[in-house]
Amino acid sequence: MTKTFTVGWLYPDLMNIYGDRGNILTLLKRAEWRGFEARLVELGRGATKQMDEVDIFFFGGGQDREQALVYEDLLEFKQPPLELAVGNGAMVLAVCGGYQLLGHYYQTAEGEKFPGIGMIDVRTEAGKKRFIGDVVIDTDIETLSPKTLVGFENHSGRTYLGPKARPLGKARLGYGNNGSDGMEGCLQGTVLGTYLHGSLLPKNPHLADYLIRNSLIRRGVDELSPLDDSVELAAHERILSRAQHH
Amino acid sequence: MIRKTAAVWAGKATGALSRISGRGGGTTLPGDIARAIDPRILTKLSQDLTHGSIVITGTNGKTTTARMVTWLLEGAGHKVVSNRAGANLIFGATAAALNKAGPDGRLRADWGVFEIDEASLPKAVEEIKPKATLVLNLFRDQLDRYGELESIAKKIESALSALPSEQSTAILNADDPRVAEIGLGLTKAPLWYGLDDTSVAARELPHAADARTCPKCGASLNFEAVYVGHDGVYECPNHDFKRPTPSITASNIELDGFDSFSADIDKTRVEVPLGGLYNTYNVLAAFAAARTLGLEPAYIAERLKNFRAAFGRQERLEFRGRHLNLVLSKNPAGFNETVRTAVELAKGTCFVIGLNDRKADGTDVSWIWDVDFEHLKDKAKVVVPAGNRAHDMAVRLKYAEVPAQPPETDPGSALDSLIRATNEGDTAHLLCTYTAMLDLRAELVRRGWAKPYWET
Repeated sequence: MTKTFTVGWLYPDLMNIYGDRGNILTLLKRAEWRGFEARLVELGRGATKQMDEVDIFFFGGGQDREQALVYEDLLEFKQPPLELAVGNGAMVLAVCGGYQLLGHYYQTAEGEKFPGIGMIDVRTEAGKKRFIGDVVIDTDIETLSPKTLVGFENHSGRTYLGPKARPLGKARLGYGNNGSDGMEGCLQGTVLGTYLHGSLLPKNPHLADYLIRNSLIRRGVDELSPLDDSVELAAHERILSRAQHH
Repeated sequence: MIRKTAAVWAGKATGALSRISGRGGGTTLPGDIARAIDPRILTKLSQDLTHGSIVITGTNGKTTTARMVTWLLEGAGHKVVSNRAGANLIFGATAAALNKAGPDGRLRADWGVFEIDEASLPKAVEEIKPKATLVLNLFRDQLDRYGELESIAKKIESALSALPSEQSTAILNADDPRVAEIGLGLTKAPLWYGLDDTSVAARELPHAADARTCPKCGASLNFEAVYVGHDGVYECPNHDFKRPTPSITASNIELDGFDSFSADIDKTRVEVPLGGLYNTYNVLAAFAAARTLGLEPAYIAERLKNFRAAFGRQERLEFRGRHLNLVLSKNPAGFNETVRTAVELAKGTCFVIGLNDRKADGTDVSWIWDVDFEHLKDKAKVVVPAGNRAHDMAVRLKYAEVPAQPPETDPGSALDSLIRATNEGDTAHLLCTYTAMLDLRAELVRRGWAKPYWET
């Protein structure tokens, strides 16, 4: 019997500003190429079914107007089922705005605080300068090979990690979480938050497989068959070599 | 007056030097120099125009539309000053005005036709004080440069609101929800234009669509028809907001690949040698602008029969027996349309897809994941990923399951790869971002297959 693999995209119509579809496509295709029946569930505004079937949730970034619309819906309809699914071992990849909304709060330049859903131990404050450009991070996550992640950042938020969250890695190039402690992203349980887009997963196939593998452990899958990643890793390498010239 | 004359002389000298030294067409640097000497130079030169100016902005179609308006005015006997070579910041507009100024520092022309980058529009409108401002569309583009669509829309709205309403007309695309939002906030009613032919509409929004919520209540808009990107016929489910009724429309549209299209505009049959539905929008916009500036429908239709697109926007070249079709494709909405036109209408099978990440292209290339390259699957025989981000394009094509040649970052190698993979007589579509197009074109110039762009 074919095994299914399900990706749940939170607010695909509103939170998709930075080519987030690349992350979705990478997860789906890499599962499909391994013989899984890969499915996408779009989790738009309003009451949503099927959240208990999702293996990996993706939560991207949006523009201010859209992010405000999402915020209320997230609290009303998504938070309880999302927490339940994560408690059952589903993975979450949150990028940019999604990353911020999963934390404790976002504080504007005027000092106003917008609470997030507190799923990860991070807080974000508005900053003046916008951090824009290529990013390379060195990660110490076990089982990841190569030990680098590459992407592109474009954010003015400064995110700080609490003791329960660990950084995804150290920025070799770029600003990362806040531009001051040199760290980028966070990993807390099965939730991974980051400012990297570009999209993130297409040029980091090892991270895509990390998410897929960990989300399927609970379904009794412990090995993923290898794929030919030469095209993806060539693009990854190219960013690394450009970083050396910065 | 002396300051103005000095600024004109200094600017003109810079332009001449820049061309002689072979550093390019001298399309923006002269503006830079002249503005340093006299910051009000563009306002002063604009006041010399006997009829006035039109300013054209929008994410896609600025160059083609501005060139068309210029073509129409020139054909009617007017002397026109315009910033031609895609130099669409304030410096480019200034340089263009300088170029047509005489030794006494006076600009001798009837009309100014300026294409202006969305983010530069407020400043341009303030300095030029145009008789008409044309806003074509607002698509997602180069977010890294300007911040997001929302803030650009607000800037444009405030620039238009500041114009004296009795002397200036806003010409707006009713089919674009973001542009419509701008127009509904203006005190003087704009001239709305839009398509009126659902037979050429797509059934659903492409993945690149980006203005889908009601500005009043936040509900997702319902689309009855989708033409290009998020441009179509839309309405808020709570009836708070809907597409304004256009007073000038294109209907009975017939598309013929990249070659031509025809349509009924303002009770006149118009046939233009430009392909793709996005060009139907450009022609409709130019038509609406020309009507506002006082030209007659019959004349416009006749003159447009012989219009030629700007360099690289859509250009045909011969290269070692291959027919090349160069089409600028710089963002998701533009790329989706050129891919759709190449595959569905022109039956294209050979492609070079050029992606650069220089400043003029946008340094963030994540938008390629919003383009539906899946349309090339099972249709394209040869695809060469090119440009300094060719490797990103190769990954994109892999995940669209489109077989491709190895990525070629060097323009010469990309052309060689195309030659190896194709036969004489084949047609290849070169869909490229701005500087990727310049690079490929420069290589074709170097090999003797094309003319330098400032001579076109």
